[in-house]
Amino acid sequence: MKKVLMGNHAVSYGARLARVEVIAAYPITPQTQIVEELSELCANGELDAKFIKVESEHSAMASCMGSSAAGARAFTATSSQGLALMHELLHFASGSRLPIVLANVNRAMGPGWNIWTEQTDSLAQRDTGWLQFYCENNQEVLDTVIQSFKIAEQLALPVMMVLDAFILSHTYEIVDVPERELIDKFLPPYMPEFKMDVDDPHAFGALVTPDNYYEIRYKMQKSMEKAPQIVTQTGVEYGEIVGRSYDVLETYFCDDAELVLVAAGTLVSNSRAVVQEYRSKGIKLGLLKIRMFRPFPTEQVRKILLHIPKIAVIDRNISFGASGIFFQELKAALYGRDGVSEARIFGFIIGLGGRDVRLQDIAEIVDYALEEEKPKEDIIWMGLKR
Amino acid sequence: MSKVIKFNKESDLPPLVMSLGTTLVNKTGSWRYLRPVYQDKTAPCIEACPASEDIQQYMYLVAKGEFDKAWETLVAENPFPAVCGRVCYHPCELSCNRGEFDQPLAINAVERFIGDHGLERSLEPFKIAADRKEKVAIVGSGPAGLTCAYNLRRLGFKVVVLEKNEKPGGVLQFGIPEYRLPKDILAKEISRLEDFGIEIKTGVEIGKDVSWAALLKYDAVFLALGVHRSRAMDVPGEELDGVISGLEFLSQIARGEKVALGQNVAVIGGGNTAMDAVRTALRLGSKAKIYYRRTRAEMPAIRDEIEEAEREGIEMEFLVTPVRISGENGRVKEMTLQKMELGAPDESGRRRPVPVAGSEYTVTIDNVITAIGEMGDFNFIPEDMLEWGTVKTNHFGQTNIEHVFAGGDIIEQPHTVVHAIGSGKRTAMAIQAYLDHVDPETLVDKISVGFKGGFSFERFNDGQTGDPVDNHQVVHYEQINKNYFTEKPRNEADEQEISAGITTFREVKTTFDAQTVIGEALRCFNCGVCNMCDNCVIFCPDVAIKRREDDYRYEIDYDYCKGCGICVVECPRNALSLIPEGK
Ligand SMILES: Cc1cc2nc3c(=O)[nH]c(=O)nc-3n(C[C@H](O)[C@H](O)[C@H](O)COP(=O)(O)OP(=O)(O)OC[C@H]3O[C@@H](n4cnc5c(N)ncnc54)[C@H](O)[C@@H]3O)c2cc1C
Ligand code: SF4
Ligand code: SF4
Ligand code: SF4
Repeated sequence: MKKVLMGNHAVSYGARLARVEVIAAYPITPQTQIVEELSELCANGELDAKFIKVESEHSAMASCMGSSAAGARAFTATSSQGLALMHELLHFASGSRLPIVLANVNRAMGPGWNIWTEQTDSLAQRDTGWLQFYCENNQEVLDTVIQSFKIAEQLALPVMMVLDAFILSHTYEIVDVPERELIDKFLPPYMPEFKMDVDDPHAFGALVTPDNYYEIRYKMQKSMEKAPQIVTQTGVEYGEIVGRSYDVLETYFCDDAELVLVAAGTLVSNSRAVVQEYRSKGIKLGLLKIRMFRPFPTEQVRKILLHIPKIAVIDRNISFGASGIFFQELKAALYGRDGVSEARIFGFIIGLGGRDVRLQDIAEIVDYALEEEKPKEDIIWMGLKR
Repeated sequence: MSKVIKFNKESDLPPLVMSLGTTLVNKTGSWRYLRPVYQDKTAPCIEACPASEDIQQYMYLVAKGEFDKAWETLVAENPFPAVCGRVCYHPCELSCNRGEFDQPLAINAVERFIGDHGLERSLEPFKIAADRKEKVAIVGSGPAGLTCAYNLRRLGFKVVVLEKNEKPGGVLQFGIPEYRLPKDILAKEISRLEDFGIEIKTGVEIGKDVSWAALLKYDAVFLALGVHRSRAMDVPGEELDGVISGLEFLSQIARGEKVALGQNVAVIGGGNTAMDAVRTALRLGSKAKIYYRRTRAEMPAIRDEIEEAEREGIEMEFLVTPVRISGENGRVKEMTLQKMELGAPDESGRRRPVPVAGSEYTVTIDNVITAIGEMGDFNFIPEDMLEWGTVKTNHFGQTNIEHVFAGGDIIEQPHTVVHAIGSGKRTAMAIQAYLDHVDPETLVDKISVGFKGGFSFERFNDGQTGDPVDNHQVVHYEQINKNYFTEKPRNEADEQEISAGITTFREVKTTFDAQTVIGEALRCFNCGVCNMCDNCVIFCPDVAIKRREDDYRYEIDYDYCKGCGICVVECPRNALSLIPEGK
């Protein structure tokens, strides 16, 4: 059924269709509406789940971990400072191999206090062992929440799905909400192989000495490495049942491109429009959308970009003392063991703290990359008031 | 037994950090140095009730809709629930923990509901213990006498109640008016006692129809004569026509006699008798007014009655005392009063009223009803048994003649119905102890309920109606885990509509309906007693608490309980205690 939904409510509807059993959350702008809607669904009986009000995001994640460990499908949502407060437990959740799904609304970190969109909050959690998906529109938001559970449960790893503050979270779009039966067919109830069971008690998350810790970490990485294939397969299955397929990446006019833009989240939509415009002028511009950031789909990226002469990475984030984070990942992927890319990679930083990224701003990026033979500096600051 | 599992390769390891063996081998109970135990305790309301009613327990039962059982619980301690539910001044409510949270439970109103339920359903009180040969004489059929008779009968004794009036009940029958305690309610509560095998002989006055010496022939005697001599005001004109004592007035009304009152009636006093007299006079069509020598705060009448009288429009004049009544043709016509002010506190702790010089004034009056206090009439009782106008007894009601006991208003205790009931019950236990040659002091530890002097008959009788309760630990407000309760206003029973010039003797207060009484009982914290909320089970981090096999109450697996005390803290009502291990 088609509905007009804001991105936050698209998350809630997705979680409801996934039949989440436990929701533990603490409010934070711009996420609050996600769990507000879910709490209402719980209260009016439309969703048979336990809603746990907690005193902090740290406790929210702790509650999700407890319920997930006991075999429940657990969900939470947060943003920015809230995600940062969860940091310790993000490690703990993945280390415990719990398939929790978290929706993070990308918001800039303070201070300066800022509630607008930026990717640094989630990207700063890249080493916590969580899968990460970035969504382009509200339809993808809803579909991704549902797929996230299936992916997480197959890998026994938690998934963070990300949407941009306000540009998606508070913006209404037409969203097709799939029929419940379809989703029930796609996503069976969660049946963990191991769970906390008072009738068969085991110790979970206990001390592991150097003798075995190393191997535990190795196994976790192996599961991560399986993720691209599982994500692709899950996206295909979803397409078969619901009619919309997804993959780890999405290409747009990349095959013959001389310059490919690389972006994630809502930056992708604007880039798409710019590509159309340049193509209509006969300029060979392409676009690569990174949907899955963790694990980084190195193989897939290489396959697409290895023969492209110029690449422009658009980062709405910064790793201080280094550069844009997607830029780093792209470089790391392209200079790998299967040969070195010849490409000139440009790293653009734009729109921090929610500053508007307009079509002409993307066009400026394109023009710079087309004009210059190579980047003049490691970080190209777009729209900086100098 | 535990065994070491060795991982040689990465693939030997489980996919997540978990033990492959069961953790049951780890008996965390060995860490414990504090032990949680289930221990029901005493609620403060029970401690405060002079009849030691198991209020907490009947609230629990009422909340479940089990009214029959609630009634049984009630009459285990008090044979007059329908009476007390109407006239008790309910000290229990003053001590109710809920009072500190929002408002106290409406205990008295719930008690009335259950009492009436028992009457409607003609529920029978408990079986009698094996019959005994001893016979006990009880003098006076007020609440003290009848309660003593009831409990002695339950213990198997033959009892005879000797009553000088033509009907049993004492003040309940001839003092408290119909609009507070309907006579048919009283009659039913008393006839239930008669059906139970208590012989009541009315029209028998000790000292006249039966001699003191004859009385002493019984195996034991309980004196519960009450106080029925009205205190005189000692002012000129008291003997005039139209001056009558409150007690006399009320008993005439109770007997259905016609009492002719004029238009302006002055009632002197601030106690229950004064309140009942003034409200009765109002109902007879007079303009009745209270004159009291202290202030409203010092009035000894029960608060409910003062408030009801005020709502009925009764005027009260404080800090005045009559100094003279004057008449015409032998009939009262005027009363002269003197204004008073409060001076230094007297022996009762209340400030003594002292006259204000030159403040006399006179009112025109048709009747004066005096109600400034009552005294005992002890004409047949040996002088050495008396002291300060009361019968001297020890803590158990025993007098200086070892088989003669006394209770109710004639001994040193507050003059209330529930104190009379408490003393009747206490003395029944003491009489059995005496006849069995047991020192009742040795029983105190077992039968006392908290520290305010109340004794439980159930404990005395070893009744197994409930789980053992620690009678020496009273749960106070600080021990209630308030996080588990939300504010909820107290339910109040409605009052009959009060119109100016009320003429009916219909009962003033209505009662709760079943739904309201359950709602009210659900407000009860159940202080100190497990009501099977499952909280301890939910919170135990070691999963060491289980419901018992019979699905009643819980057991703790001490092999695994590590003594963290979480269950004790999370119990909303302090029904668990933490005790040092090994003690
Ligand atoms: C008008 C009034 C209203 C009251 N209202 C309340 C109230 O609302 N709430 C409350 O808690 N308290 C109230 N009280 C106090 C309460 O009624 C008494 O404290 C209580 O009744 C005392 O009980 P008792 O058994 O000791 O004596 P009583 O109830 O006085 O009974 C004593 C009985 O002994 C009999 N008797 C006396 N001498 C002899 C004898 N020689 N031979 C045989 N029989 C004899 C009497 O006839 C009487 O029936 C009120 C008192 C009065 C007077
Ligand atoms: S008898 Fe009086 S004190 Fe006892 S429970 Fe009833 S109202 Fe309360
Ligand atoms: S809350 Fe219930 S158990 Fe506690 S004091 Fe009040 S009436 Fe008694
Ligand atoms: S927590 Fe509940 S179930 Fe446990 S002892 Fe207290 S009242 Fe009983």
